[in-house]
Amino acid sequence: MNEKDRLEILKDILFTDDREYIEKIAQRIEYIEQKVEDPERISSKVEPIVDHKLKEFTESIPTTLGPTITAALKDEVQNHTDEVVDVLFPILGRMIKKYVAQEMRMLSEKINGQLGFKGWKRKMKSWFGGAKEEELILSELSTAKIEQVLLIERESGLLTASYSTTETIDEEMISGMLTAIKNFVEDAFSQKNQNLELIEYELYHIHLQSFVTHYVAVVISGNYSLHSKNKVQDLIFNFYEDFMKIKKHKNTKEDTINHELAQSFKNASI
Amino acid sequence: MRVSKKIVVLGHFGVGKTSLIRRFVEDSFSNDYKVSIGVHITKKVVEITAGNQVSLILWDLEGTDDLSNIRDSYLLGTHGLIYVFDVTRPSTFENINGDLRIVGEKLPNAPKIVVGNKVDLVVPEDLDRLLQRQGITYDYLSSAKTGGMVNDLFLHLAKMLSSDAKKI
Repeated sequence: MNEKDRLEILKDILFTDDREYIEKIAQRIEYIEQKVEDPERISSKVEPIVDHKLKEFTESIPTTLGPTITAALKDEVQNHTDEVVDVLFPILGRMIKKYVAQEMRMLSEKINGQLGFKGWKRKMKSWFGGAKEEELILSELSTAKIEQVLLIERESGLLTASYSTTETIDEEMISGMLTAIKNFVEDAFSQKNQNLELIEYELYHIHLQSFVTHYVAVVISGNYSLHSKNKVQDLIFNFYEDFMKIKKHKNTKEDTINHELAQSFKNASI
Repeated sequence: MRVSKKIVVLGHFGVGKTSLIRRFVEDSFSNDYKVSIGVHITKKVVEITAGNQVSLILWDLEGTDDLSNIRDSYLLGTHGLIYVFDVTRPSTFENINGDLRIVGEKLPNAPKIVVGNKVDLVVPEDLDRLLQRQGITYDYLSSAKTGGMVNDLFLHLAKMLSSDAKKI
């Protein structure tokens, strides 16, 4: 046994404990590395902590962020009432309309249930309403069609966009006159917050839907039933919602709005 | 580029508002006088500079001796106004400053043009003296019948509005 061997033996004797300790640390590190590199294993450990913190954060929102959000909303509603109403109107309007439509449908179903069939209902309508049965049949058959749609600035009556399937006189003049008629009627009856909603002439109806900054005029030919009215309102609300999004962008071109208007009403069946 | 502007034409009864508009839009004139009821709307596109157009939507409001009676809703969103008086009838311009004050209160930010119409019916020197004596200031003296200064006054307003649009 030479000196080197003796030194090794001495080292073994002296550092046995340390070596075991180092080996344990190395194993521990290897275990942690495996855990970190395996997403499933780490998520099982981290997720409960994140969930807990998230829950804490959610619960604390009313006390921490609540007053700030409420104040910001109040300011926004007070300072930009028109914009807020313009954004909410299509959504609320649609909700109310759907509710009313639902009620109407239920009522209609009840009536249908009582009368049994459509023809019998028509006969009854004819007897009580005074209209001839053949006229009622024709009226049921004639469908409504959108002829023209105008998006008009509510105050100035200036035309913002238009879509038309037929030739008419200058649309800017129509917009002005419609606005003048609308203003006159609304002034004449001095009912604040009430709007002229329908103009009828012979075979045509002009459906007017007012918003805060603009109103939409839809010229319809044919039988303009409650059912058609519902569909037209849906189309208007959908379009106006899109228009509000487009309007937010600065330098929005007139063509973009015209295109959106045409897309919304072009192939719509009412 | 084309911008649309709403113009209201105001003044007492029979001062020639409708005739001025008809001369400007259709280049025609009629001696038959028909009272305007409510409002009548016409349109004319004018070119201010090459490729720069203004579409003037003209609201011809019915004449009234008391401008405070004009429906406010007709004035909403107005970009510019033309106030017309009849140079042959002092009653239409005697209280012009009061009328213009009412109009100014209703439309504080709208550029305006003050026009004395029917100058073909008076002697220019007599008219000058009369208007000076009464302290009447105006922008144009026009004649819807002959067409004198009609295009100029509308074009002037269109240019004012066009430059306003650029500022915005």
